[in-house]
Amino acid sequence: MSDTSSLASGDAPAPGVPGDPAEVELRLPADGAYVSVVRTLTAGLAARLDFTMDDIEDLRIAVSEASAMVLDEADAGAQLDCRYLLAPGELTLTISTAAQDPVAPDYESFGWQVLATLASEAAIDAVPGSYSVRLTVRSSLEP
Amino acid sequence: MTADTSRDDGRLTVVEQTRKRSAELFMVFRDETATATERDGARDALVHLHLPLVEHCARRFRNRGEPFEDLVQVGTIGLIKSVDRFDTERGVEFSTYATPTIIGEIKRYFRDKGWAIRVPRRLQELRMQISATTAELTQSLGRSPLPREIADAIGCSVEEIIEGLESSNAYATLSLDATDDGSDTGGQSMLEAMGVDDDALEHVEIRESVKPLLENLPPREKKILLLRFFKNMTQSQIAEEIGVSQMHVSRLLSRTLDQLRQSLDEG
Repeated sequence: MSDTSSLASGDAPAPGVPGDPAEVELRLPADGAYVSVVRTLTAGLAARLDFTMDDIEDLRIAVSEASAMVLDEADAGAQLDCRYLLAPGELTLTISTAAQDPVAPDYESFGWQVLATLASEAAIDAVPGSYSVRLTVRSSLEP
Repeated sequence: MTADTSRDDGRLTVVEQTRKRSAELFMVFRDETATATERDGARDALVHLHLPLVEHCARRFRNRGEPFEDLVQVGTIGLIKSVDRFDTERGVEFSTYATPTIIGEIKRYFRDKGWAIRVPRRLQELRMQISATTAELTQSLGRSPLPREIADAIGCSVEEIIEGLESSNAYATLSLDATDDGSDTGGQSMLEAMGVDDDALEHVEIRESVKPLLENLPPREKKILLLRFFKNMTQSQIAEEIGVSQMHVSRLLSRTLDQLRQSLDEG
């Protein structure tokens, strides 16, 4: 019982309630060498949510594209901020970074086209100081 | 002796016929007085005659993630080299001489074209197991399997499956974020090596520039791209349609996307 109360009183929402999204956060240097870590973590989380192998492969490509887009805009020495929202059969990932003067979202770009096709939902948020790409992918097993 | 002969009778004759034909052809091929056409013809015939040997060698390397046809193709290069180098005076059968050369050529192919980053043997084997099990389960379940189901079938943990997935990307494809010296630390990644785009330029004709790139893709890569993005088929469905493994589709797809992106950035 003490476990439950300490968790419930924390900043994170109380876990264990069905349908309540769990949160995962990862911060790492905005450097291409770390993208494989993001991909693997994403695949690992998706595996827990009953994503099929096909879904996971799509997700991995989507993460690569999103990371490439964000890394392009990152300030020198910036961090990559990866926030996951996990719901049954659904994973939302927001990758953001510090960007002084990000370019406006380019919805004609190749990377965006790939991302928009693979993800169930995707969005770019570019404001002075920050650039982020959000993608939601759902398991093909979920109704 | 008599028992041996009677048992192997059928096979021996085939083998002996091949040997006889092979010896005759080598006579022509090595004959200094024969015309160039005759010698070329003999060389061709020799290669064709021994093609089954290449297929036999290539079969030993099946299920390692490379298409059988590709292995036969590189093996054939080994065969051609053997035909050109074979010394008839040596007193060994051609097949004895050629086999190591053919296998050597296939192994070299795996070494050169195979793993872009050195991956521990354990992971290489795991990747092959994942690939084979994914194909089996896709068949029996009628859908793409869950990592958990693959882990259960192989008898390993889900984490190991995920690890295997990432290592499979080190195979035959240079991912955009791979560093050029193959290590995780140091080295410049391809992404970093790319120039900064001129914003104004990039908008101009991106669609127009994709078109010729798509046209230049090999037919199989183009088909995979079309099936995935225009027909919205899953990788498993594409794998079935094209007749390769899902892992192979995944690899071709990410490689093609990387190439397109790279060409676009260069253009």
